[in-house]
Amino acid sequence: MALRTEEFVVNMGPHHPSTHGVCRLVLTLDGERVKKVEPVIGYLHRSIEKICENRTYPQCIPMFDRIEYVTSMSCNQVFAMAAERLAEIEVPERAEYLRVIMLELNRIASHLLFYGVTAMDIGAYTPFLYGLRERELIIDLFEMTCGQRLTYNYIRIGGVSHDIPPEFVPKCREAMRIIGQKMADYEGLLNENPIWLARTKDIGILRAEDAIAWGVSGPVLRASGVKHDLRKDDPYSIYDRFDFEIPVQKNGDTFDRYIQRLDEIRESIKIVNQALNGLEGVEDDKIKAKVSPNFKPPAGEAYARIENSRGELGTYLISDGTKKPLRVKTRGGSYNQLQALPLMCHDVLVADLVAIFATLDVIMPEVDR
Amino acid sequence: MGVIKDLKNLIAGLGITGKHLGTHAITVQYPEQRDKIPERSRGIVVLLSDKETGELNCTACQLCMRACPTGAIVVEFERDENKRKVLTNFTLDNTICCFCGLCEESCNFSALKLAQKYEFSTIGKEELVWDMHKLQEVGRDVPYEDKRKKKKAAPKKPTPKPTEKKPEEEKKPQQTKEEVEAQAEKKAKPVDKPVDKMEPKPEPEKEKPATEDNQPGEKPKAGEEPTEQTGGKTEQAGDDSKDDTKKEGSD
Ligand code: SF4
Ligand code: SF4
Repeated sequence: MALRTEEFVVNMGPHHPSTHGVCRLVLTLDGERVKKVEPVIGYLHRSIEKICENRTYPQCIPMFDRIEYVTSMSCNQVFAMAAERLAEIEVPERAEYLRVIMLELNRIASHLLFYGVTAMDIGAYTPFLYGLRERELIIDLFEMTCGQRLTYNYIRIGGVSHDIPPEFVPKCREAMRIIGQKMADYEGLLNENPIWLARTKDIGILRAEDAIAWGVSGPVLRASGVKHDLRKDDPYSIYDRFDFEIPVQKNGDTFDRYIQRLDEIRESIKIVNQALNGLEGVEDDKIKAKVSPNFKPPAGEAYARIENSRGELGTYLISDGTKKPLRVKTRGGSYNQLQALPLMCHDVLVADLVAIFATLDVIMPEVDR
Repeated sequence: MGVIKDLKNLIAGLGITGKHLGTHAITVQYPEQRDKIPERSRGIVVLLSDKETGELNCTACQLCMRACPTGAIVVEFERDENKRKVLTNFTLDNTICCFCGLCEESCNFSALKLAQKYEFSTIGKEELVWDMHKLQEVGRDVPYEDKRKKKKAAPKKPTPKPTEKKPEEEKKPQQTKEEVEAQAEKKAKPVDKPVDKMEPKPEPEKEKPATEDNQPGEKPKAGEEPTEQTGGKTEQAGDDSKDDTKKEGSD
């Protein structure tokens, strides 16, 4: 007698250890196989855009820190860029270098965290400790510079808030050297590991055309083989001065998305080192353009977008000429990545769904804002 | 074949983790040992006291209150017979402070600082709302650089007062108009700050003094102070802030 089976609807989340925040996935399961996934979002909505409408421009930056707390330097940067475009403020060269250094360090820190938590979601615990250990080096650099470990409020309209302390440059070079060396360890732990390969290879493939159609960006898009990176395609700040590659993968499976991040760490290390060299050549030690605390940009609108570690991060500002923005809109990469999740989950195991979700590197506060 | 390869990989992995044998732990045993935290670390907001007199440096100018994005600070003051502002209360709600540091940056009198302190857990939420006495007490041993020193010396030289006074006054009316507009704006959007912030009296009071202060009577002393002090602060202070600080300084 054949066993009668039935599809089963299960909630994964909102509080589930591997949903990286508060995300609910409604799964339709046939035994251990996932037939359908439906992400339900909104649990972390804090209405940051609306809050910003009631804050002055400088006050918005601490709010933006909290849109995407893992790389809040990028959030600072994108808001500052949009505001600078509104008011046509020229950023001093030194500040530009400092910004690039901080943005890239933040990207490395974010990818190291990704490396750790993804491995942990798939079941390997050691990489988590490795990733966090090296991430600490970078976080220490941030704390030394701006006093905070997570929500920096460092990049301001017109420049940056503090100059780097004298011990920053040697420590930063040392950190880059250590991380560069440890890359071999990271890859050695996982790349050849048969369990890792079985869990990641050919799982959760996202085809390039789907990725483009769903507006996926960042490492997830590049892992699917699309060479698109705003640092090259629409250079902002002073990224056009640096020599670096945009790594891409072919398959767009879970393994590619993982290896893509590691490749990007290498490129970011290159950029940081070049920027540190470039910083030495800057004579002017001005780090902030003259911006009034009662910053009032002329009426108008501006959009700024940057490449952060989770794809394209954009901010659209409308000013009515007062101290407060009339409208603030942000676009985060995580949102699109999450919406593309169902495309990758055709008939996968529940455990693989966790792996796929982890490699999308979604940050829920950025989805819900 | 496959098994041998897998075993090899297993050994390679073990080799990487094995490299740790014999190396030092990178973590510390927290309550007994502590990491040294950098000078710039932003911890709890504290009020600073004068190194000599032991009194609070705060002049109740409310710049920090206006700079705070969360509305964690409430500054209340009264005016004494000379119309000088006297701080009556300074409340900091640690439950909503986001440790952004904007208040410290806005203060021109070295009166508050985000100290390198981070241990203030309690069992009740109410205990996290600190008044000025608590803030002062916590800030007693916090080292800081006094930005006011230059300014303090200034009022003793009375000579430039009469000459400097006039041009200053001519400028002021225009700028204050702007200021008043700005404040009116602020009022028009009442959602601006969290509700509890709108309740305390200082809000309406704040505007009156601004115009009163422009009366020539008590100006002289003040004309000097702020110019010195904003001079040291070029980076942050734009045009608007200058006249902000002038007003505050003039009380
Ligand atoms: S800005 Fe400084 S002096 Fe003014 S009220 Fe705040 S703490 Fe006091
Ligand atoms: S640190 Fe930021 S949130 Fe906290 S009191 Fe100061 S300005 Fe307000």
